Amino acid sequence: MVALLIGALVIPAATGTALMLSGRVTKPSSEDNANTLSLVASVATAALVIATVINRPVVNHSWLPSLGVRLHFAVDGISAPLLILTALLSIAVVVNARSRPSHGGSPSTFYGCLQLVELGALATFYARDAVIFYVSFEVVLVPMWVLIARYGDSHDLAARRDASGRFVLYTVLGSTLMLIGILALVQASGTADMDALAVLHGANLSRSTQIIIAALLLVGMGIKVPVWPLHTWLPPAHTIAPTAGSVMLAAILLKMGTYGIVRLVIAPLPIGFGALAPAFAVVGVVGIIWGGLACLVENDLKRLIAYSSVAHMGFVVLGLSSGTTVGLQAALFANIAHGVVSALLFFLVGGLKERWGSADLATARAALREVSPRLGIALVVGFAASLGLPGLVGFWGEFLAMYSAWNPAPDRPQPLMRVLVVLAVLGAGVAAAYSLRVLRLIWSGDRTTPAHEDARGGEWSVLAVLVAAVLVLGVAPGLLLNSTFKEAAAITMQVPR
Amino acid sequence: MSQAVVSVNAGILLPVLAPAIGAAVVLVTDVAVQHLRRAHYVIALVALMVGAVATVAGLGMVAGAARRTLCLPGSGQCMYVADSVGSTLQLAALLGAALTLLLSWPDDKKQSPGGTAVIVSLVLAATAGAAAVAGARDLGSWLVALELASLPAVALVALRGARSAISGAIALLTTALVSFGLLALSAALWFTATGSGFLTPAAALAVVNDPARRPILVLAVVVVIAGIGFKLSLVPFHAWTPEAYDGAPLPIAAFLAGVSKIAALAALLVVIRAVAPLGAPPLTAIAIVSAVSMTLGNIMALRQNGVVRFLAWSTVAQAGWVVLPLAAVSSAAVHASGAYLLAYVLATLLAFAVVAALVQIRGAARARDLAEYRGLLGDHPVLAGALGLALLSLAGLPPGFLGLVAKVAALRPVVTSELWLLAVVAAVNAVLGVAVYLRWLLTVISTPDVSPQASPPAVPEGAAPVAAQAVRVHPATLVAVGFTAVALVLTSLSPQMLLGLLGQ
Repeated sequence: MVALLIGALVIPAATGTALMLSGRVTKPSSEDNANTLSLVASVATAALVIATVINRPVVNHSWLPSLGVRLHFAVDGISAPLLILTALLSIAVVVNARSRPSHGGSPSTFYGCLQLVELGALATFYARDAVIFYVSFEVVLVPMWVLIARYGDSHDLAARRDASGRFVLYTVLGSTLMLIGILALVQASGTADMDALAVLHGANLSRSTQIIIAALLLVGMGIKVPVWPLHTWLPPAHTIAPTAGSVMLAAILLKMGTYGIVRLVIAPLPIGFGALAPAFAVVGVVGIIWGGLACLVENDLKRLIAYSSVAHMGFVVLGLSSGTTVGLQAALFANIAHGVVSALLFFLVGGLKERWGSADLATARAALREVSPRLGIALVVGFAASLGLPGLVGFWGEFLAMYSAWNPAPDRPQPLMRVLVVLAVLGAGVAAAYSLRVLRLIWSGDRTTPAHEDARGGEWSVLAVLVAAVLVLGVAPGLLLNSTFKEAAAITMQVPR
Repeated sequence: MSQAVVSVNAGILLPVLAPAIGAAVVLVTDVAVQHLRRAHYVIALVALMVGAVATVAGLGMVAGAARRTLCLPGSGQCMYVADSVGSTLQLAALLGAALTLLLSWPDDKKQSPGGTAVIVSLVLAATAGAAAVAGARDLGSWLVALELASLPAVALVALRGARSAISGAIALLTTALVSFGLLALSAALWFTATGSGFLTPAAALAVVNDPARRPILVLAVVVVIAGIGFKLSLVPFHAWTPEAYDGAPLPIAAFLAGVSKIAALAALLVVIRAVAPLGAPPLTAIAIVSAVSMTLGNIMALRQNGVVRFLAWSTVAQAGWVVLPLAAVSSAAVHASGAYLLAYVLATLLAFAVVAALVQIRGAARARDLAEYRGLLGDHPVLAGALGLALLSLAGLPPGFLGLVAKVAALRPVVTSELWLLAVVAAVNAVLGVAVYLRWLLTVISTPDVSPQASPPAVPEGAAPVAAQAVRVHPATLVAVGFTAVALVLTSLSPQMLLGLLGQ
């Protein structure tokens, strides 16, 4: 059983390294070979990931005895949905990239980077040792940087340098602050085992220690989430990154931040987080409104979806801050929901940008419902889910987050939380406004020129699967909520009074 | 000092004796048989390898264990103590020196200035000093060994004879003299305070609670930090570094960045371990120079366009990281500092080895210009890959796990001692460092044809035929690149291989 988990990490590592090293050997004509190889690897990885989610094996080996770091990997209800999301989206980006030439460098490097990003994300969600969590967190950095810097939007070299540089520097600042927090947490608690940390629940830490460590960790991971006002790296990175990079970034990498907050702040530092939660909730709600307002006026479609990510992650922050089991479940659900919806939207917008040559909303285009009904329906579903329409996946996370914040844990300031909920509802209204604005601009109307191709083959199957996921999880949220209930309850129920 | 009969164990002293004897043998051989060139290098490599093998017995020992010799009969105090940290630093110095020699291996055409015997014996002498200072526990041999490690480097820089070499050597010489003055002063202060010629915790412990003598000891330590700050290139004692690196032949710059730094840290660790009972005051000085060094080094490295100067400023920044853990009072700090130094030395030597290989392929002017690295990944994928790994390791980013783990190890004592401000400064510098090294890496992985406005200087017409000739890299340089690259890959996969050497 242990072999399943090791395999799920070794396959992307080996494939990614092999593809990177073979960059010189494979010629551009072998684009399909690189694609096929990574497709096979991603499918095999996904099969193993699903097997580990069912079997729940545990790997625990000594790695750095001098520093007390162990290669400790396991699966539980909180990480399982994120692992599956990562594995399936990694297949989707490879399928979607098939038969599209990767601009900017050799295809094997491109696919190698995607595999290494998958490796880092899987290792982050599997990790049970706090230092290994940090190490895994860092693994995604360089491949993602290469994806943005070399394979990004080829129009503007300076913008590419700026976007990739911002991404990597912001993230390194965040992760180094997180490392300091992790080292302090490990030192103060006497263990780096995340399960043991959750069980300890901060019992042996004073209030002031908890607050200092929680603040370091929240700022560090807040950059990754990203939480307003630390979000300014996200819009350029999304705008410039290639479609595959945008999808991985929005759907998976952002989740590493919120996941880390659950694992390393809320579970082991309940008092410290409780003290900071009101402020955290405020910046989350500011993010909801800020992102929504930016979307109302933004004319670059990719950048618009990036800003909407800031708003959606604001709901996750609000749910986390409520301190209740429902809030935690809402945040974990909204995490997955945003993963599915943002992946759908970035696949769509990436495809549209290739067809249009830009993602500018001010230019008059053919209406999607007229010339490309498949892209059109996917876009409608995507934005409907994004605005939180009941019955779609986006609804539950945001509704439950607001519900939980309305009735927060007893140690949270209830009046403030209720004001924040009112503001968040306004933010949800803004989300409806910008979603309908986009649909009005590019979906409705009866222009049919300049015509473009509808989605076919791999692109359509990826979109169809994601649309189906939006509907299924929207109709039956219990699939996911049941998975996280036990662990979420364990984390919030034992908050000391 | 002592005239008593001391015990001598040549086996334990072999890491020091082997390079020293090697230097003598090289000079004697040169007198006996003239015009030998490669033989000197072979003798030197054999001597260094013998020394390296002799350190193995001291590696990875449990805490507190050490191999002692030159012990005084009565008191049981020993003038030479090789514990795991010391033995590891000796091993690193010996291997670093071997690498320097490989990079400066003579080819058939060019005559080395001063003759190979001079270069080889100077390198061996400095290495013997570096190995000795790691084990020295008495003031006299500590001071002499540290100077033995420093002064030959001045001659090595100057030997090239070019104007820039002379100015670099003068900068280095001035520094060495000031540094020696400070260290001699600190030795005198130490002796005044403790009345002991030994650099041991026992000597310092006697002074801790004496209000009259304690300030003198604190002053001694602060002066030591200043004196060694020169050798480690810590700000504000760093000014010689870019001059000397840039003026020196490339292998000698690698020597300054590698073996000299090992010697300096080894000397500092001897003192730091001795004053552990003293607690915080002198260590505040370390915190300040560490923070300033990393910040200034990174900012200046960001602005460099020559790779040797880039590496020089990178050394300044990395020196700040090396002493960062020493700002905390903890037993883990010495290990962390040693671990960071080893990671830095390995990655830096790999970068120098790649640059040396490129000097042979592309000529010195192109290999020393950072802008000329554009498209290296396409032209020389193996060298570019090795360089990329070295840069990522210095930046502390995966796949350079060794650098990443070193960063974790260096930050840990700081966090443990709750020096939050210093930790945040270090975090900001981790970001600056990433900006520094990714700037070079971005040039390496960029394709020249993407940006027409930037590519013309990259491929001048005159240079194209030179590249097309497929100039062969000297096998010795290839061995150096291969050895360091394999070592970095292996230690990145399993950093414990390196951390374990420093002791349990």
